[in-house]
Formats: sequence, C-alpha cells, structure tokens
Amino acid sequence: MMYPIDRQKADPGKLAACETWPIFHRVLTASPLAIRETLCDIRNRFTKSTDPDTLGRLELVLAEVLNNVAEHAVPRHGGLAVKDSPTIHLSIVRTERGFVCAVTDDGISLPDKCLQPRNLPGFEDSELSESGFGWFLIQDLTQTLCYYREEQRNCLAFSVPLARAVRSS
Amino acid sequence: MGLSMNLTAANDGKTTIIITRETRIDAVNATQFKDVMREIINDHGKPALLDLRYVDFMDSSGLGALVAVHKAMPPGLSLTLANMTPNVERVFKLTRMDSVFQVLPTQQQENG
Repeated sequence: MMYPIDRQKADPGKLAACETWPIFHRVLTASPLAIRETLCDIRNRFTKSTDPDTLGRLELVLAEVLNNVAEHAVPRHGGLAVKDSPTIHLSIVRTERGFVCAVTDDGISLPDKCLQPRNLPGFEDSELSESGFGWFLIQDLTQTLCYYREEQRNCLAFSVPLARAVRSS
Repeated sequence: MGLSMNLTAANDGKTTIIITRETRIDAVNATQFKDVMREIINDHGKPALLDLRYVDFMDSSGLGALVAVHKAMPPGLSLTLANMTPNVERVFKLTRMDSVFQVLPTQQQENG
C-alpha cells in the first residue's frame, strides 16, 4: 500500500488555486446591450470562485458604473450626441479579499459631485425619485473608490469586498 | 427596436397578477418594462401583484421603472411585489425602497 505524503496531499492544488485568481478584461462600446452582455460574461467568469452575495454586489456596482458612462459620458451639443458612444476598458481582478476593478473611458469628464458623499434621493411619496440611485449604490457597495482624469480618459478604480468582510465591518 | 417584453397578466377576481419571464430588468429594457406594466395595470383596473421570481438582476434603471409604475398607480389601487430574488431584494434594501413598496416575503418554493 502506498500513502501519499502530507505535503503532496495538501499543497499543489491549493497553491495553484491561490496563485491563479481569475481575471476579466474587456473593451466594449458604452451601449446598454454591450454592457448587459459584458455583465453576464463577468458573472460566468467568477461564479465558481465567488459566493452569490459578493457576485451580486459586484454585478450591481459594475452595472451602475458602466451604464453611467453610456448615459452621461457621450459628448453632446444641444442635447444631440456629437461623437460616437465612448469606448470602455474594463479590468477586474479577483483577490483574496474580493474584487479590484478599473474602468476607463474616452467620454467627457465625470462631474465632481458624483464622488461626493450623498444621501438617498427624495423619499416623500409625492415626489419619490425615479433616478439618482446609481451613485448612491456605487458609493455604498465599493471600498477605496477613486477617480482621476488622464488626458482624454476617465479612470475609475474601486474594490468590492467579499461578503465575509462586509458582515464583520 | 421591437424588443418584446415578456410579461403576462392573470386575474384572480380581486387582483391582477403579473409575472415577468425577463431575467434582467436593466438599462436595456427598463423603459419598455415600465410602459407595458402601466398598460396592463390600466387595462385591468385592479390592485396589482408583480411576481419577480424569474428576475435575477435589477439595476437602478429597473428600480426607477418600478418607482415610476408605483407613482402612476391609479388612485386607490396598490402595487405589491412578490418573490424577489436576492439580487433584486438587495437593490430595494440598499435604496430603502423596500419601505416604499408593499413587498410580500419570498415563499419557500417547491415548484421552482
């Protein structure tokens, strides 16, 4: 009878799993359909390595960030788009603690107010808001959210912690 | 852009029960979802119950569409939401909209 030694039994699989966290990279046009397709691919990419709660929060944040680019980053003149939809570069890395994401686009600058702390939109039933939830959700669900403008690109980086970390904080 | 919206309505006498087979209510279909919901609710003229069991993802556009439907309910008629999946429930909780809508707790489902 042969017994595998402990080292063999314990190490190779685990080490490999730790060192090769999945990543996701995509260049896409800022359109609702392309965004939806990308979000579905991201879910498929990370579903094995991530619990449903964390994955759900990641998908929601990314939906809000990407749709915001599609809606607001298009250069307009008198209400009409004067250029094509921006192109988005998206990178996501799964780490031990959650996800680290970088989103850049060649649209117009993000207004400062988006990143300032905010409350939920109006709550009175008579004037219940139908929009304005996007940046609230992004701020609520991310950690270390940072933005900078680099030449012609918006750059937004943030992390989405694992569900465990959220509960204990 | 003739996207079809998969919503069906049934009447149990007192309530219009609306069920959507869309798995996502997002920036792609939120406007259409809102329009079809309003049409169904206005046509039936009864309190409405929306069964969300197949909706696996909703973003702020989808939420905004539901808020718009809620605000446009005919006087005296209520809109109740039922069978929210965890992803949908999260959006409502984070935005406190679970306190604005009537929400039925999700059933333990045997029949999927």
